[in-house]
Amino acid sequence: MNKNENKRYERLSAKSKGQLIIESENVLQEMQQKFENTIPGMEYFYDVAKQYAGGQLKNPERKKYIATNCIQVPIELIYAANALPIRICSGAYSMSQAGAGLLPAKSCSLVNATLGTIYTNSFPLAQKPLTIITPTTCDQKKKLSEIPSGIDIPFYTLEMPPSKDSEEAQEYWYRSVKKLKGELERITGNRITRSKLKKAIIKVAQAQRAFRHFHQLRKEEAVIRGTDAILIANTFFYDNIDTWTSHLVSLNAELEMRKSRDHNGSESRYPRILLTGSPSIFPNLKLPIMIEKMGGSIVADEFCSSNRLLYDTVAVDEWNMYDMVPALSDRYLKACTCPCFTPNNDRERKILAYIKDFKVDGVVYQSFSGCQLYELESLRISAVLEKENVPMLYVETDYSPDDKGQLATRTEAFIESIKNNL
Amino acid sequence: MVFQILAFLLLIYGGYLSIHIGTSIPTFACPYNQECPGTCYLISVQHQAHNTWASLFGFRGKAFLISLLSFVLLFIVINKAWCGYVCPLGTIQDWITKLRNRMGISFSRYDDLSFKRLKAIKYVLLVLLLFIPLGMSNSIFGLPLFSHDLGAPFCQICPGRVITPLFIGDTSQLFIDFTNTTTMIMSSLGIIVLAMFLIGSFFKKRFFCFFCPMSALHYLFSRFSMLRLIKNGDNCTKCGNCYRVCDVGIKAIAEDIEHSYMVKDDCMMCFKCIEACPENDCLKVSFLTMPVFKSTEEGFFSRNLHLNSEMQKPSKTIIEDE
Repeated sequence: MNKNENKRYERLSAKSKGQLIIESENVLQEMQQKFENTIPGMEYFYDVAKQYAGGQLKNPERKKYIATNCIQVPIELIYAANALPIRICSGAYSMSQAGAGLLPAKSCSLVNATLGTIYTNSFPLAQKPLTIITPTTCDQKKKLSEIPSGIDIPFYTLEMPPSKDSEEAQEYWYRSVKKLKGELERITGNRITRSKLKKAIIKVAQAQRAFRHFHQLRKEEAVIRGTDAILIANTFFYDNIDTWTSHLVSLNAELEMRKSRDHNGSESRYPRILLTGSPSIFPNLKLPIMIEKMGGSIVADEFCSSNRLLYDTVAVDEWNMYDMVPALSDRYLKACTCPCFTPNNDRERKILAYIKDFKVDGVVYQSFSGCQLYELESLRISAVLEKENVPMLYVETDYSPDDKGQLATRTEAFIESIKNNL
Repeated sequence: MVFQILAFLLLIYGGYLSIHIGTSIPTFACPYNQECPGTCYLISVQHQAHNTWASLFGFRGKAFLISLLSFVLLFIVINKAWCGYVCPLGTIQDWITKLRNRMGISFSRYDDLSFKRLKAIKYVLLVLLLFIPLGMSNSIFGLPLFSHDLGAPFCQICPGRVITPLFIGDTSQLFIDFTNTTTMIMSSLGIIVLAMFLIGSFFKKRFFCFFCPMSALHYLFSRFSMLRLIKNGDNCTKCGNCYRVCDVGIKAIAEDIEHSYMVKDDCMMCFKCIEACPENDCLKVSFLTMPVFKSTEEGFFSRNLHLNSEMQKPSKTIIEDE
């Protein structure tokens, strides 16, 4: 880079970081103030989100950290290598603008924003990550490592099979994960031992247990707003996992109390909405906030950024390395409902199961423009839902605030139409 | 676990307490072990099949049917849980597996296709063990009568014949019989199978069960049993946990979401799958129609990961903070 370019880069970086803070503040304010009846236990999660936006995540032990580009990276291995996994998939409009210049015009906002984060060096921690692990789930994401942009952080491509049901695919993925283990040991300089990995699996399982409890609590009544639930899952990567878990446990206890207290039998019924499709990641909570403002209640979501993140479990038969690593790889493959897999009947089965368990009245399907996999799968999901007589609203959107007016009209109409049929 | 050891003690040492439990017991309670309290049904069935056609369709046939009936009756009650909880050979294999686990040596994996072929062997053995004794008294397809040294042919190669007496300190079965060619071949086969049993079960959990003709015979009656392993496919996320922990590698338990009866030919009803299932009410054991043991989310975390529940209680400091 020559001097001029350097200056321009610094300006872009500073501007994007500044905008990210403002953007996040606005969203948090909207979440905390425009809705009444906030839950005290949410404070912690709002705080963590704020720290994330400001690039001030806590890392008191000064651990090395690894950036993950998708939730399919087995984080237990990263913890076992004594490093921190930080997810860098970004939901920031400012970052998507910073990244858009480097990518083809039809790229999806999430990919633009992620590249923007890396390019402008707007990581949520002060240091840079040791490496960026990108699973080959999304076609656009996996190509990020090859974009000529002068990024000096090494990328690691974690190979994922295009299918998950066949024996060949499972074997392929298992070997990928095994290779990643070796690679992590090399990058961090720490050996992943049997006891360290066991500890890491159990640590994540504690979080999963609390998260599953949270999930169950939402089944019967809308004890918490869906927007808050999405934010809680979003913050999972942004703090010490044990701290995060203990706060979720307390929140669960609070919700449990609310559940018994608020149950008076005469509550007015809000349309119960299931949200699915391209993931809403903080601060891009445009659509969920819109739905809840319009009187819908998001009771569940099928997003990789929230419900899918911590739901699936690790089952180890023999606590030795030879069985723990395959158990881990199974957890990240077999039950996954990412549209990158073909066939992916499990996704429609999961959505139908959620509709039944959470007594869903309508589905909102979000697709980011350019996110081909979710766009393609929407056809099938909408056909399945039509057969089941569940209304679905398909929304194609991106991170820009431009379509807010149009979105408001459409979500309002959708929710009103459900209300009329309740 | 405790039950398994008690059953092992009973079936191996029961004779010391003069317990006798009959000849139709579906087990490797092996009469070659002199202190054994009963007789493996496989030996009875082989003896009973050693008859001419004429007598099989007459009085002897009735005896055959009666013992078959008592065998089936037991099955109607406990189904293949026999294999998982009672069979002494199964218990020995579980011990060998524990030893391997302690040593930190990996178990071996097979690909689906070869595994499928391997599993078919037990049906071949089952047919042979009925066919050979019949052939000793009757000429089948015009073949000459088989030598009487082939009596109870499966027992001659069954590892139970050699192993179970060892537990009472009897090594008399550990030999090769040089009387004639037939006995020599059969007894050497017996020793070879024994070696395969020990080595195989060290590297593959429940290795011998894949070849066990008793298991094949059980499976024929399994559908009528009162004890059933049931799956509710609607609650299944296909996470594969159940298949992961399955000692006999039954894939259908994880992948089949349409059928509800889940006892397959290799299943030994050990119910590890239920322990590993994190979904509420997805897998269950029922006796008649009463559920005995169900999969639950909480159960998954406490049984498999031994998570202490302390961690899941809100800590006071955090609540006070807010």
